[in-house]
Amino acid sequence: MVDEGLTSGPPDDEGLTAGDTWIELSVRADLEAVEAVSEILSRFAPGGTSVQPGFELIDEGLGARIDPNQPAIVRAYLPGRDRTAARLAVRQAREALGHLQAFNLRPIGELDVSVVHEADWAHAWKAHFPVLRIGRRLVIRPTWRRHRRRADDVVLALDPGMAFGTGLHPTTRLCLAGLEHWADEGLCAAARVLDVGCGSGILMIAAGLFGAGQLVGVDTDPIAVEASAANAARNDLVVDVRNGSLPSRSGPFDLVVANLIASLLIALASDLQAELRPGGRLLASGIFIDRERDVRNAFESEGLRPLRRTAEGEWIALEFERSPI
Amino acid sequence: MAKKIRIILTLQLPAGKATPAPPVGTALGPHGINIVEFTKSYNEKTADKAGQIIPAEITVFEDRSFSFILKTPPAADLLRKAAGLDKGGATPKRETVGKVTRDQLREIAAVKMSDLNANDMDAAARQIEGTARSMGIEVVG
Repeated sequence: MVDEGLTSGPPDDEGLTAGDTWIELSVRADLEAVEAVSEILSRFAPGGTSVQPGFELIDEGLGARIDPNQPAIVRAYLPGRDRTAARLAVRQAREALGHLQAFNLRPIGELDVSVVHEADWAHAWKAHFPVLRIGRRLVIRPTWRRHRRRADDVVLALDPGMAFGTGLHPTTRLCLAGLEHWADEGLCAAARVLDVGCGSGILMIAAGLFGAGQLVGVDTDPIAVEASAANAARNDLVVDVRNGSLPSRSGPFDLVVANLIASLLIALASDLQAELRPGGRLLASGIFIDRERDVRNAFESEGLRPLRRTAEGEWIALEFERSPI
Repeated sequence: MAKKIRIILTLQLPAGKATPAPPVGTALGPHGINIVEFTKSYNEKTADKAGQIIPAEITVFEDRSFSFILKTPPAADLLRKAAGLDKGGATPKRETVGKVTRDQLREIAAVKMSDLNANDMDAAARQIEGTARSMGIEVVG
C-alpha cells in the first residue's frame, strides 16, 4: 500500500499527489523523543499516530520487551486530497521537528514523506486469511470466503480476531491434524473433549465437527470465552467454556488437547493427566523442538505413554495415552 | 493457547472515535489484524474518555490474532491540562503559550513512568520537559 517510489518526486512537491490518497509522515526517533514527536505529528494529523518500537522476545516468544536502544518509528497520516494544505503541514511539521532537536532529547531522524493509496481499510486485512486445508479433509474457512466442498470435507467456519487459534500457526495445525487422526481412528465419535487454552475455540470446534459429543474449554484469557462461543455458533455447535485453568471439574475426558508452551505443559502435566479417563488420549502442542525431551519426560513421569510425534518446522506435538487400567 | 508474538505497536487515537482509516488501517492491515474488531473494541473501552487521546498498545501474535491494552494519555494531553490550555491549543511557533511548574512536570512524569520506558524519574521528567518545550509550554519553578 505504501508507495515509497513517490517520495523521489520533484523536491518542491514531495510526491504529494491529489486523489484518493493519504500522505504518510514518518520519523525514526529515539524512544525518549517519541512522545514529543507524536505530539508534533498529531498537530497535523488529527486521526492519531502509530508508534512502532524496537522490541525483543522473551519467555519462549510469549512476551516482548521494548528495547530502549532501538529507535521507534512514529507515523501519522494527512488526507491527500488537499495538496496545498498537505504541503504546508509537511513544512510546519519539519520546522517543529527541527526545533525539537534543540531540546536536549536524544536523536530524531529526518521527516520522511510518502504517499499511501486509499484502500478498503476495513476489509484489506482479510487477504491474509485464505481457506486452509489441513490434513486430508479438514478445511478452515474464514466466514467471508466461499469454499467448494468435496464429498468428505469437514469445513470449519471461523472469524479470526482477538483470540489465538486461526489455523495459521504450526502449533494449531499440528493439533488439527492430530484431531483428524483421532477421528480416523474412530475416537472422536460421541467423545467427551477438553480443550486447555482454547483461544478462538478452533480445536474443540474441530473435535465437534468430527463428531465429539461434549466440548469443554478453559482459557485464562476472558476474550476466549466469547470468541469460542461465537465461533462454535458459526458451526452450529454448543461449547462450555470457562475463564480459568485446570482442574476443569468436568472430567474425566476421553480426549484432551492442550496447545500451550513447553513450560506450561510441564507445570500442568499432573493436572492434564488427571483430566483423562483410563485409556484416554492427550495431545500436547506448542512445544519448541529444544524442549521436546523435557515435555516428554514430564508426561512419562505422570504415567502417560507416548504414542505419536508430529512436527512442522521447529514445532512438535506429542500424543500420549493414559493407562487403560 | 500458545500465543507467540509477532510484533508490538502503539496507536494514539481519539477515545471512542477510532475508525479503520489511517493510522489504524495502515498500521494493522499489513499484519492481517481484524480491523473492525479492533476499532469496535477500542471504542467501547474508551467511550467514557471522549475528548482525550488514549493510546492502545497492540500485541500481534504469529497467527495474526491480537490483543491490546490501554495506556496513559500522551504527555502532551496531560501538559495541556496542567497548563490550562484548550485542546489543540498547541502551536508550533516558538512563543510561550503556557506554563507548568517543575512539580507538575514531575507529577506528569510519575503518571507516565510505566509507559515511558524511562530508566528513572529524572529521565522521565526530561522526556516530558522536551515535549513541553516543543509545545511552547515553559517549565518554571
